[in-house]
Amino acid sequence: MRECLSIHIGQAGIQIGDACWELYCLEHGIQPDGVVLDSHQNQLENAKTEHTNASFDTFFREIRAGKHVPRALFVDLEPTVIDGIRTGERRSLFHPEQLLSRKEDAASNYARGRYSVGSEVIDLVLERTRKLAKQCGELQGFLIFRSFGGGTGSGFTSLLMERLTGEYSKKTKLEFSVYPAPRVSTAVVEPYNSVLTIHSTTEHADCTFMVDNEAVYDICHHRLGVERPSYASINRLMVQAVSSITAPLRFEGPLNVDLIEFQTNLVPYPRIHFPITTFAPIVSADKAYHERFSVSDITTACFESSNQLVKCDPRLGKYMACCLLYRGDVVPREANAAIAAMKARQSVQFVDWCPTGFKVGFNNRPPTVMPGGDLAKAHQALCMLSNTTAIVEAWARLDHKFDLMYAKRAFLHWYIREGMEEAEFLEAREDLAALERDYEEAGQSF
Amino acid sequence: MSDTLTLDVIGRRVEVNGEHATVRFAGVVPPVAGPWLGVEWDNPERGKHDGSHEGTVYFKCRHPTGGSFIRPKKVNFGIDFLTAVKNRYVLEDELEEDGKEQIVTIGNKPVETIGFDSIMKQQSENKLKFPSGSAPLTGTFSALKVLVLNRTGITWAEVLRCAAECPGLEELYLESNEIFISERPTDVLQTIKLLDLSSNQLIDENQLFLIAHLPRLEQLILSDIGISSIHFPDAGIGCKTSMFPSLRYLVVNDNQISQWSFFNELDKLPSLRALSCLRNPLTKDDKDTQTTRQLIIAKIGQLKTLNKCEILPEERWGAELDYRRAFGNEWKKAGGHQDLDKNRLSEEFLMAHPRYQFLCLKYGAPEDGELKRQPLMLKNQLLTLKIKYPHQLDQKVLEKQLPGSMTIQKVKGLLSRLLKVPVSDLLLSYESPEKPGREIELENDLKSLQFYSVENGDCLLVRW
Repeated sequence: MRECLSIHIGQAGIQIGDACWELYCLEHGIQPDGVVLDSHQNQLENAKTEHTNASFDTFFREIRAGKHVPRALFVDLEPTVIDGIRTGERRSLFHPEQLLSRKEDAASNYARGRYSVGSEVIDLVLERTRKLAKQCGELQGFLIFRSFGGGTGSGFTSLLMERLTGEYSKKTKLEFSVYPAPRVSTAVVEPYNSVLTIHSTTEHADCTFMVDNEAVYDICHHRLGVERPSYASINRLMVQAVSSITAPLRFEGPLNVDLIEFQTNLVPYPRIHFPITTFAPIVSADKAYHERFSVSDITTACFESSNQLVKCDPRLGKYMACCLLYRGDVVPREANAAIAAMKARQSVQFVDWCPTGFKVGFNNRPPTVMPGGDLAKAHQALCMLSNTTAIVEAWARLDHKFDLMYAKRAFLHWYIREGMEEAEFLEAREDLAALERDYEEAGQSF
Repeated sequence: MSDTLTLDVIGRRVEVNGEHATVRFAGVVPPVAGPWLGVEWDNPERGKHDGSHEGTVYFKCRHPTGGSFIRPKKVNFGIDFLTAVKNRYVLEDELEEDGKEQIVTIGNKPVETIGFDSIMKQQSENKLKFPSGSAPLTGTFSALKVLVLNRTGITWAEVLRCAAECPGLEELYLESNEIFISERPTDVLQTIKLLDLSSNQLIDENQLFLIAHLPRLEQLILSDIGISSIHFPDAGIGCKTSMFPSLRYLVVNDNQISQWSFFNELDKLPSLRALSCLRNPLTKDDKDTQTTRQLIIAKIGQLKTLNKCEILPEERWGAELDYRRAFGNEWKKAGGHQDLDKNRLSEEFLMAHPRYQFLCLKYGAPEDGELKRQPLMLKNQLLTLKIKYPHQLDQKVLEKQLPGSMTIQKVKGLLSRLLKVPVSDLLLSYESPEKPGREIELENDLKSLQFYSVENGDCLLVRW
């Protein structure tokens, strides 16, 4: 069994995690208390006997007949968000030991998350992780959910990633990170936290899938008819992408792609591991079935920036690799035709050194929509992960904001007083400048 | 498609270069030789004429430019469902002609293509051919839950015939079919939970009464049908209608709603919990979206979600209070009274604000003080106060205008300069003409007049 452990850190990570497990339960027919419905039980039996490879054993652990527990860990330095889960709909789904919280939070401060407050809780977290890992037959890797801008999400994650590399060096670590949106900010010191965490986590993460709130907010507002999207709407959309990425591990498919395969095909150089996520079709539930989306329609849509979950213009860069994950009723013949059509387009430019830029995966299960959600059910869907040099725009933006604040040493004392030194800031900033240069170099012709 | 035309071609749905049409005529059109098809386009402006050519009427169209004559070869009749399934899923080299039976696997569910004994989840639209006669479909789709018939040109009568074959149908999508609801479904469609009638411009509010008694209908999508008003005649002001008993979610985006009375009527729906009404003339005004949202929330009491955003209790509380205050003056003019027993509200007011009475019961009738809304100029914020000296009867009563934010200390300072009495000797209190005999002490020097609720017309009493 190739199990995956999900670790959700900080408010963003936990709230996305909540939506994520809600969706997984819906997809697998597991009720909010972890018990499987009878009709699905038979399906499970069939699935297990017929295909030992693909089952949801990768994400859930069966502790007794019919009762399943997610292989997940929720960590936060303050209790309110986790208390929401402890008292919410899925409180009986998780074992209490999987929900870890402390009393004093990181207060949007990387230094607190990493050094002072984080260091008190890291040992407990690692112990729980070990316990969960022991319950796995053959752990494949970790999925880390966090934000770049928050204190716990940035600081504590850096600490955790370092220690995980130490203990589980051979295991893959994939991140789902919420990147600070260009125009919508949740914390003033976001740039500091983001730069510091990217610097310390880059060498430990194998691949980081980025989403940003503003892009998803725009999609919800303009395409899904949500007047004022709340975090709940935004998270529900994000987890559809997460589900598509992990679907190959949970369901059968004619051409499944697992975690290692992703990396091999998406990451050309170790540091260039920040693909952007795109999803299609995005249709409001009120307009379900009004338009017929063929496979070529959804493939074309994925190359449009309005379907991206990160604000970034891919036409300003070149694609280095693309991973297309088709879900549902998609026939390989149609997919190949659609991809051939995209390759012929002018607007889709690949770097010179990557002639066959596409990796395709097929999964039979169409995406499940949450009841009462904003997204319409689609019988064919596509999630595209593309590694494009255009993401350097995101780094440049972040660095610029960092520079503006750092030039005046604004807000710096909050970090210094928790034991950090200015040297670390400079080091981090240098690292990000080097990352920008790496991307530019990758995009250059021979 | 071959050149041979048979009469059964009339009424069939066709497609030419992405535009859909219905065949109305097949035959020869002199003086040009060869077979022609007369079609009526879905898009009424696509055609060249209304079915007549050089004086002879070959077929009739609803619209003067709705028809065209086309060569049969250029027209795509579409393919029936079975062929479509075969073309898609069965690869050329795997085709096995096994006598009469063929099993095609869609996903994990084997679909037997003989006798339509299939468990289908969705029929692909616009390739669906309908028997124009009254012949029923062979076999029943007993497990069919979702039926998508968007853009097929189907009529309501055909829908009902179809629904008769699908006893367990839960979701029915009929977008863009120019449907005119002609009869009430009596034995069919009783299990239906979702009905999508978007973009059927011929539907009006009276036709909606014909589908108002579907017992399980929970979601009704009426986007882009041109509706501007709705009325439930069986319920009076403030009562609930018996129509649409289970309707929880109504979508009326992209319509012509421009009157608030629409929302007043929606309040009569007993189960309505969610509403989407974007892009209507009333709600289009960008600068006022916040007010519009608040008004809709206040007008429909049991609404929990508006335009896909949850209405939190605080939002409802705020919206209802604002509504109560905003229309307070009108209420008074229409005969409203603080003492609710003495209320005699005009019919007009009750029609326009059916929930107002209920809001008064919930939050209390609006008080005069709340209703006065004067522009925010300094002179309007000054309190005109009388100053009396109870111990010095010979002193004249003064009138002064003081800002409400003035602290007692400063008031004392002013009076001290006026009366030539040291500040520390002054004792202030006030009384209000509304509550005679009751004197309130102004003891804390650091607090303001506003803190003690001193209002316009009150009387300051100074002693030393």
